[in-house]
Amino acid sequence: MEEVEIMSHRILIIDDEDDIREVAALSLESIGGWKVDTASSGSQGLARAAAYKPDAILLDVMMPGMDGPSTFRELRKNPHTAKIPVLLLTAKVQSSDQERFAQLGAEAVLSKPFDPLTLSSQIAEILGWN
Amino acid sequence: MDQPPHVPFKDALGKLWSTFLPLLMERVSTLQAATDASTQGEVSGEQMAAAKAAAHNLAGTLGTFGLKNGTDLAREAEQMLSADSGIEFDGERLRQISACIRTMVQNHDFSEEGLSQ
Repeated sequence: MEEVEIMSHRILIIDDEDDIREVAALSLESIGGWKVDTASSGSQGLARAAAYKPDAILLDVMMPGMDGPSTFRELRKNPHTAKIPVLLLTAKVQSSDQERFAQLGAEAVLSKPFDPLTLSSQIAEILGWN
Repeated sequence: MDQPPHVPFKDALGKLWSTFLPLLMERVSTLQAATDASTQGEVSGEQMAAAKAAAHNLAGTLGTFGLKNGTDLAREAEQMLSADSGIEFDGERLRQISACIRTMVQNHDFSEEGLSQ
């Protein structure tokens, strides 16, 4: 009998906070059934994105060194990562911050704290994944 | 009997909570230390910046582990520590907030509570 390989979505999570990164990874793997790679900084995220070529990137806004917006701009400059959809993740709730992040051109801006039970369905809906 | 699908996930999330509890308590301590120092007029700019970062981290994390009230309090603390928020610094309120968050975090029991409060 022919085996059919079910392709799972691949997500790269870029966040400097260990707890957020691990909870998001657990959520997307366990609830979403997706394959997850992680990076703890913007520069590490750029390298992982180019090597891992994920289907989407979940990118924290506030990170030391290269922050989320800077990382996003670098992703867009690299032809290997330019077309990967990026969802920004932020704990900033001021509408001015949210608007500023939305204008960067990311697919969406997601708020922290996120609900780990619904994070994957939220992302799937935004990206049009079944 | 099969477990509901979310139970194994909740167990795994509970393990992550246990893993990161020391980090969360450290953030609460940072917030509390800066607040105590500020009421004595002895806080440095670096301490205040660290407290603001700790409040920001707590705001973004606690709700994910089911402590929405903790997120709300941490947000209030972060805004009070932000010069451009328009919210006046209130040392006594910050002390209350940090004490309350500490209690919430110390008493949070995954086995009894749902993932959102």
